[in-house]
Amino acid sequence: MSEGALPKNDAVLRVDDLQKSFGGLAATDHATFAVERGTITGLIGPNGAGKSTLFNLISGFYEPDGGTVEVNGTDVTGMEPYQVADHGLIRTFQTPRKLEGMTVREAMLVGPRKQPGESFLTLFSSPGTVGESESANLAEAERILEEFEIDHLAAQPATDISGGQMKLVELARAMLAEPEVLLLDEPVAGVNPTLAKKLKSQIRRLNEQGTTFLLIEHDMEFVMDLADPIVVLDQGHVLTEGTPEGVRSDDRVIDAYLGGGT
Amino acid sequence: MSALTDPKGALAELTRPERWVLGVSVAFLLFLLAAMLIGALGPTYFLFLVGLAGMYALLSFGLNSQWGFTGLINFSVAAFFGVGAYGSALITASGSPLTEQLADVPVVSSLLGFPIVGLVVGLAVAFVLAVLIGIPTLRLRADYLAIASLGLAEVVRLIVLNERWLTNGSAGVRGIPGFFENWPVLSTFPEAMPGLRIEVIPGSPVILGTSFWQALLNVLLVLAFAGATYFVLRRAHRSPWGRVLRTIRSDEDLARALGKNTYSFKMQSFIIGSLIMALAGVFYTHLNLYVGPGDLDPITTFYAWVAVILGGSGSNRGALFGGIVIVTIREGTRFLNDVALPIDPAPLRLLLIGVVIVAVMRYRPQGILPPQRELIWPSAIDGGGAPETPDSGVREQKGGGGDE
Repeated sequence: MSEGALPKNDAVLRVDDLQKSFGGLAATDHATFAVERGTITGLIGPNGAGKSTLFNLISGFYEPDGGTVEVNGTDVTGMEPYQVADHGLIRTFQTPRKLEGMTVREAMLVGPRKQPGESFLTLFSSPGTVGESESANLAEAERILEEFEIDHLAAQPATDISGGQMKLVELARAMLAEPEVLLLDEPVAGVNPTLAKKLKSQIRRLNEQGTTFLLIEHDMEFVMDLADPIVVLDQGHVLTEGTPEGVRSDDRVIDAYLGGGT
Repeated sequence: MSALTDPKGALAELTRPERWVLGVSVAFLLFLLAAMLIGALGPTYFLFLVGLAGMYALLSFGLNSQWGFTGLINFSVAAFFGVGAYGSALITASGSPLTEQLADVPVVSSLLGFPIVGLVVGLAVAFVLAVLIGIPTLRLRADYLAIASLGLAEVVRLIVLNERWLTNGSAGVRGIPGFFENWPVLSTFPEAMPGLRIEVIPGSPVILGTSFWQALLNVLLVLAFAGATYFVLRRAHRSPWGRVLRTIRSDEDLARALGKNTYSFKMQSFIIGSLIMALAGVFYTHLNLYVGPGDLDPITTFYAWVAVILGGSGSNRGALFGGIVIVTIREGTRFLNDVALPIDPAPLRLLLIGVVIVAVMRYRPQGILPPQRELIWPSAIDGGGAPETPDSGVREQKGGGGDE
């Protein structure tokens, strides 16, 4: 790797001049920002600002029209989502989708990356290896469920738990994938205040343990309290970024949210 | 703990529908045995039916590993079945145009006529076909595979019907040997076995002759095919591999976001299912000793779908059960000819299947035997002292196949 390809500062995710248009609409308009390792970076912006599009571009679900995405110094632009995930970028979805016919424990076990048992031939050529890795993953899944204080849900059908609990399970499962950077798409949307509080403390705990977060959230109190720095997106481009206090008092941000009335 | 060492414990572990199915199956088997003993059901014909049931079980296993595991909608079951059947028939049959054309080619000609070679060829053609249809469709949404597979089924059927130089067209292929022809010991086994005469009811003896032993060999063959397939699918289903497939079925984007190459997993699932369907075709060829374009009719696809939906999609045992039910209805209705009915019994068959499907969808949308236990690699559970299994079954509350 050449000197120039190394991450400047210590950015785990770097988005540079990213563009994406749908028809004539520029959903992402030359967006540039970086997520420094060890931070909880908030991504906010009014409805239609292009936050979810940006998430889809970063995680490989959309192919950008221009610009680059780097994860850990590697250019992942144009890669398939599973390849982006292999580089350590894991994401969740706005609406958690429930895994039909699985218990919470099984749903958790989808998380670990590159399991030996995911190769069909290994199932028959080396069942012992599969068993060992499955045991280790099972133990890890149960440890994480305990840390999240949802171990009592382990044997429940994944379709039977509440939306808020599902968000917790999603976060717990994402941790099994050992992300370098975790993208959370509205982690507390539609979650009751008690669970939202729990989610917040879990995110903070995981961050203290070293996980970097980038999160989209509409709940201003939640995001201002948790995230630093905050990136503000408006009409597809980065309006400003900075500390919660700085962003809160920025006139352009107030303008964007209130439609230029102030 | 196996069912053999601890039958009581194994029985206690069964859920209510499982016990119900077990009970009905045992009763049905006893009924058939009784029918055989009194001479109402010929033992050779009975074995033929068991062979057919095994064949349908294979077809349902194949579809289950595509639709049940991964949610892939394949409407070309009959095509893959036909490719297996014709693949093996064309290599082995005396009446095959292909064997005549290849008779002078060195090396190749020495391979003709061996059912094992036919098996390999049938599976190989199915493999190639599955890859060819998978490449353009599996990257797209599920509907595209459904549409493409509908087309594929017709294309394969029409090729078989029209390419006379290869397939004999509508005349079909005759002169297909039994699967064990040319094998040491087994090829002469039916003739070598003594004829048996069993007389339970005086005056109506049951005679077990050469054809009976031949049929028995076929049953053993299908048991080996279906048993091996069941073993492979069972292991695959409860593995991390199977878990990725089940994730794809519910939410493909989630699987991709977690680093799974879903295209590759879908392709594997599609190929494995197609190979199993072709295996059913190979068996059918050497059971029926004749194949024709009629065997590629869409009704075979329909029966396989009914079997999987009836048994419970995603469940291997369900697929097995569904396959047996299909043969029971299909062949059982033949006996209605003996009873004076005001209407022709043939259309009754489809009506009956329709009624069964409606009843299952109404009262048990998840199927008769949906997957009910957590599917985690067994040794991990034994070793890790895993927690209790939910006794209600994870699909009890929600329809397993009800999401489409």
